[in-house]
Amino acid sequence: MTRLKTLLTSAALFAAMGATAAMAEVTVLGWPGGPEEAGLRKAADAYNATATDADKVKLIFFNRDGFFDKLAADLAAGSTDFDVNLIATYALGRYAPFMDPITLPDAAKATFPEKVLATMQYDGKQYGIPTDLSLHFMYYRSDLIDKLMSDADWKAKYGEISEKYLGKKLEPKDPDAWTWDDWMATALFFTKSINSDSPTRYGTVLQMKNLLFNMMVWHSAARAQGGDWMNEAGEITVDSPAYRTALDIYKKLYDEGTSPKDSTTYEFAEANAAFGAGQAATMLQWNAAFGDLDNKDKTPAVAGKIGTVAPPAGPAGRFTHIHGLGLGINKASTHKEGAVKFLNWLATPEAMETYAKAGGSPALSDEVVQKVAAERPDLVKLGQYAGAYGFVMHGGTAAKALQVYELQAKEFTAYWSGDKSLDDALAAAKAGMADLLKP
Amino acid sequence: MPRTSRFEGRLLIAPLTAFLIALLGFPLVLDLVYSISRVGFENIRAPELIGFSNYAKAIADPEFWAAAWFSLRFGLIVAVIQMVAGLALAVFLAPLFARRPWLIALLMLPMMVAPALVGLMYRLILHEFVGAVPYYLLEWYGDFPAFLGRDWAFTTLVTVETLQWTPFALLILHSSYAAISPDVREAAALDGARGRRLFLHIDLPLMLPALGLTFFIRFIDSFRVFDNLYTLVGPGAGGSTTSMSIYIYQAFFKVGDIGLAVAASMLLLAASFAVLWAINRLTARKAPL
Repeated sequence: MTRLKTLLTSAALFAAMGATAAMAEVTVLGWPGGPEEAGLRKAADAYNATATDADKVKLIFFNRDGFFDKLAADLAAGSTDFDVNLIATYALGRYAPFMDPITLPDAAKATFPEKVLATMQYDGKQYGIPTDLSLHFMYYRSDLIDKLMSDADWKAKYGEISEKYLGKKLEPKDPDAWTWDDWMATALFFTKSINSDSPTRYGTVLQMKNLLFNMMVWHSAARAQGGDWMNEAGEITVDSPAYRTALDIYKKLYDEGTSPKDSTTYEFAEANAAFGAGQAATMLQWNAAFGDLDNKDKTPAVAGKIGTVAPPAGPAGRFTHIHGLGLGINKASTHKEGAVKFLNWLATPEAMETYAKAGGSPALSDEVVQKVAAERPDLVKLGQYAGAYGFVMHGGTAAKALQVYELQAKEFTAYWSGDKSLDDALAAAKAGMADLLKP
Repeated sequence: MPRTSRFEGRLLIAPLTAFLIALLGFPLVLDLVYSISRVGFENIRAPELIGFSNYAKAIADPEFWAAAWFSLRFGLIVAVIQMVAGLALAVFLAPLFARRPWLIALLMLPMMVAPALVGLMYRLILHEFVGAVPYYLLEWYGDFPAFLGRDWAFTTLVTVETLQWTPFALLILHSSYAAISPDVREAAALDGARGRRLFLHIDLPLMLPALGLTFFIRFIDSFRVFDNLYTLVGPGAGGSTTSMSIYIYQAFFKVGDIGLAVAASMLLLAASFAVLWAINRLTARKAPL
């Protein structure tokens, strides 16, 4: 009897799922397998609870591996299997020819800061609603910095080390007031091979693997020096003094041993392992790392002893690379009206509140983020930093932006590892970018 | 051969031929078309024919040759080491295998692990903060090399590949060594051959075909290395560990230049065919001896 009941229940469930799918008119292709999927599922449930049958949404997900390549192929082939699809800032130009620009509803400007909306713009047009944002924090060990700020011996040693390695005597500062020189001095001070009293083996951990995402991290340094991919006239400007200075910051830190020897093979996970082991005093890293690092079960060595601020300031100001994930409309969609309705709803504070509470990471305006601040305190800083310091390189949403990141990763890691001179690496990057970004 | 038998022969082989045409012929034709086209993900269904410029681009690309050199060097070094190590193990452990044959199964275990997982495993083992190797080296000697850094990456990759695939060489060479007739050895012993002389003049010549086969298979497999290399170090700083497979993968998926990627793979196919043909000719000449 129990088995029969189970069978009947299962059959009813399958029938209900089928009915939902049959009723749904708008199919949404989302980013699979993470908090973004959990957030989108909750948001879709909330939307479907009030939408008419014709406007209900159905969610589908590819595998993450090769997601953007499969998406590009599907969009180019004019697939009508989905009406709304995921887009990312750095691949926007690649998809724009196969998507419809959208008109932002009034609610969007109240929900998101202007700079966050800009992460979904290409060629002056809005292509999506920004659902998630990634940027960088400067992570530091608050216990160590507190001691550095108060201990006279440490302060004196800090001054000696900064004078010896950077050519100027510096004093310890609050991390929120750091320049890139202050960060370098702190990294040098907390490196055991330089300062035998250092409680950590390394002063920082750099992500220098030949990988496009590592370029995004480093770009926060380049932009603070005034670097950009190209100027207003469309000329490639990566061989500027600003780029040289930013590249040399990493090079000097690596060569002086402030970062692990294997840093040229480090990316997100390896850097977190170093910092999480309590052996690196600072780390420029994605905001997404904070949750695990501050979790006492996962990283007991540093949890509760981590401070985060925006990346240090340079001559051009203080910046953090930002990129967003969002949802936009497939040009070949056969349900555009329903798709627009869903996206308009998604841009409301209520929708983003649901999305954020279920795990998504939207960068929200000050007013909206307060509604979720108790449950998601990390989102408060995310929105503030995105609005105050966020930037996208000029050309960073171009059709071949991803290839530009790949090219820079290859050339600049060659310089950092000693395979190429700075002039050769910059010349190769400039020539390649001119080809990739030509109109 | 009578006409009926010939017809029956062709009829019997027809399904296999159709299978090969469908599974190998179609992709080959498609690859040939792509290799002479301007094609990316956006126009993958409507490639634009441009002649042989993709081939010219690949041949003129220094990174193509750097990748080819990396793969050739890696393949040769790894194949030689595995062949020598496999031979040594097969000979020295032969008495042990004779008494405890189940040991062979135990030694085969590394081959059972997917190469991508092997790469990930060593990435952990060699990581300064979570890996056992740097930890103990630091404890015992106060320092350790950057195993995955520029200076050590190639050596590390060769070691990882050798540790995983030497059992394959051992398997073939053990079978070959065990297959040598005791009568031959006995006759040689009666003539006064012992130890090294017996090995160099009797065992080794008889094992030469197996040694050649082992070298060849391991060279091919190592030349096209991708999985463990990609998960362990990727293309490396400045592309220093870019193998041919990684070059083709990057051109295809990262750069989106499918025409270039396919042209490079066709050049690789042509080179492989030339090597196979040469080996075939060599074997055919040697056969009468």
